[in-house]
Amino acid sequence: MTAIERAAPEAATTGELSGEAYRVAKRRWLRANLPASFRSDVAAFASPTLPQSIAWEAAMYRAGLAGITWPKAYGGHGRTLREHLIANQEIGALAMPESVNSIGKELAGPIILAVGTEEQKHRFLPAILEMRDVWCQGFSEPEAGSDLAGLRTSATRDGDTWRINGQKIWTSGAYRAQRCLVLARTGPLEDRHRGLAMFAVRLDAKGVRVRPIKSIDGRESFCEVFFDDVEVLESDALGAPDEGWNAAIRVLEIERATNRMYRSWRFENELRHLISACKSDPVLAQLVTERHYEVKLGEVVVDIEVLKAHVETAVDALANGDKIGARGSLAKLHWSEAHQRFAALALELLAQASLPQISAVQLARRRFEAIYLQARAETIYAGTTEIQLGIIADRILQLSKGK
Amino acid sequence: MTLTGEGLQPSEFAVTASRAVADCAALDLREQARHLANDGLLGVIASQEVGGLDLPLAFAVPVVAAAGSGLLGFPLMEALLLGRALQESLPRAAEAVVTGETLATIAWQGSVSAEREGDSIVLNGWVARAACAAEADSLLVRIGTGEAALVPMDSDGTVVEEATGLDLTVPEHSVRLQGVTIPAASVLPESAWKLLCSDANVLRAAAILGSAEACLSLAQEHASTRRQFGRALSYNQAIRHALARQKLGLEGIRHAITRSVSDEAAATQRDAAFLAAGVYGSAISEGALQIYGGMGFTWDVPVHRHLRRVRALQAQGEASATLAALGRRYIDAIAPVADAAVSG
Repeated sequence: MTAIERAAPEAATTGELSGEAYRVAKRRWLRANLPASFRSDVAAFASPTLPQSIAWEAAMYRAGLAGITWPKAYGGHGRTLREHLIANQEIGALAMPESVNSIGKELAGPIILAVGTEEQKHRFLPAILEMRDVWCQGFSEPEAGSDLAGLRTSATRDGDTWRINGQKIWTSGAYRAQRCLVLARTGPLEDRHRGLAMFAVRLDAKGVRVRPIKSIDGRESFCEVFFDDVEVLESDALGAPDEGWNAAIRVLEIERATNRMYRSWRFENELRHLISACKSDPVLAQLVTERHYEVKLGEVVVDIEVLKAHVETAVDALANGDKIGARGSLAKLHWSEAHQRFAALALELLAQASLPQISAVQLARRRFEAIYLQARAETIYAGTTEIQLGIIADRILQLSKGK
Repeated sequence: MTLTGEGLQPSEFAVTASRAVADCAALDLREQARHLANDGLLGVIASQEVGGLDLPLAFAVPVVAAAGSGLLGFPLMEALLLGRALQESLPRAAEAVVTGETLATIAWQGSVSAEREGDSIVLNGWVARAACAAEADSLLVRIGTGEAALVPMDSDGTVVEEATGLDLTVPEHSVRLQGVTIPAASVLPESAWKLLCSDANVLRAAAILGSAEACLSLAQEHASTRRQFGRALSYNQAIRHALARQKLGLEGIRHAITRSVSDEAAATQRDAAFLAAGVYGSAISEGALQIYGGMGFTWDVPVHRHLRRVRALQAQGEASATLAALGRRYIDAIAPVADAAVSG
């Protein structure tokens, strides 16, 4: 039995804690149960395997740290968005790997909650939280990256079922997923945004082929997925064909503001790790006392504070019942660019370490070199920087297109 | 958001403040003081004993932002802070500030030496960045040992220099004190000065927020109405994206201020709000000028007045030193890795 399997589920009594007590309970559980091998800021770090990640995330769910705001009827914990924020602050404070099922928990789940049938909610949602079903996202295509209105994958009626044909790309984690949230077209290409429908497609279905793509960090996490006359049951269609996408857009708007809410606090964990590693090295310890690096690191602190401010005010607005609109773009844009600046600073500092390299520097270099490369993707995925700027110009500033 | 017993919201002060600021355009400084006082705007954070409203700092934010947006030529931040800073030890002086009876200001830069002579203190030295000091009745100066002293401007040995610096709206003066004698009771403790400076950074951020909002709104208006190549400027993606970045910065300032006046906020949050405001506020006002093109470089388009003000506020709060100190505090608080052995 692994440490994770032995990890105690959240005690019944802590389920009703709120505010500071809730925070302390979550913090204690995470610190007591997160395996050292998962923590990229300690010497015992070793990238977890898929089964280890799945076991850990299932344990987190049992401890009340996933599905936090989902209704209890579908396996959720029925908590408030503010408690979701508190839990994410505690998750972010520790150096732990990204979820292998963030698409399930932060995209497919909320969409199913919004547009799914009762049967679908009961069938899909607990399976996501218990990590029985890992999901991936089949939106982007070779001819439809940022511009989803141009997507070509088709879904055609065949009696009581649908048949899906086409190709998806940049589908992160498809090789490990059980389900893919597929966006497909029910009408002609000229319909653009109309006639887009969503399906929960099984990846072991006949006609599905997954081909990993090697990414710049050497990993084979994102994939191409080919659909060759794949049969999908009506019960796996999400929302009505012509309504599904509009409903999804509304969900995505909120998701952009709330997903991976731990990011600001993880960012801070990274900054603290970097400084701690520098202070362990004789040369770097001296460097970080110089005004140049005090200023550079001070700028990162300000970036993180502004990011936290974006996130917290968005949570306040949502909790007060305000419309979030396109505000999620602000946090995403600021985070992705600030994180890239930080990653470059981390590389610059660690490159100046003394010889022979101490283990703390080696560990930090491993972590920050990976972060530097992965951060290149952060201004591309979930809507590129240019798309976010366009959203802010169109929807927040409502700038005239100037005909 | 902090709520008071009467259920007031800080945002409710924005409308009153904007109207009062607009009214002030035609008034001289002393009339402005009385006008702002009549609207209750000078005593927002001062105690009720000295005629104030006794509200948290969050309520001063929309007032100072409205002043920034409307280019109010009055040392409003100083009046707000002095009304509260003086309320314990010099309640009469505090009341006079809150009611608009006297015009008081603060020298943010430099400090003076202080020597005790019986019940009096003799001050010597140079201070600077004192808004509207040429017309003020009293000036709060920092003493080298950390305290602060309230100096009547008609004291012998007080010399106000010509205004220097970029800001045209609220001119900043240097002041020379040569053997200026004041009562020992006019000295405020070091803690009062520190609180003043910390709150001032939040209010500077608020003033910059007001200026930045005004600049973005001007730039947006210009981009939507000015036509080139047969279309409005805002048709061009380069312009749309530039304005979107300005909006990102503007909301960054706004949210950082909100966070800096929350119950849990500490020095880091206050400094961050000020520093973010300086960086984004400069970018927004400079960016607005760029979008105006040649017109932006003219005296009549008000963008340069905001740009001047933002840069002056950034310097007044010593942004560069504040940033380095923030970084230093953050670095100092973090321990080295426990097992930092050299690996074989």
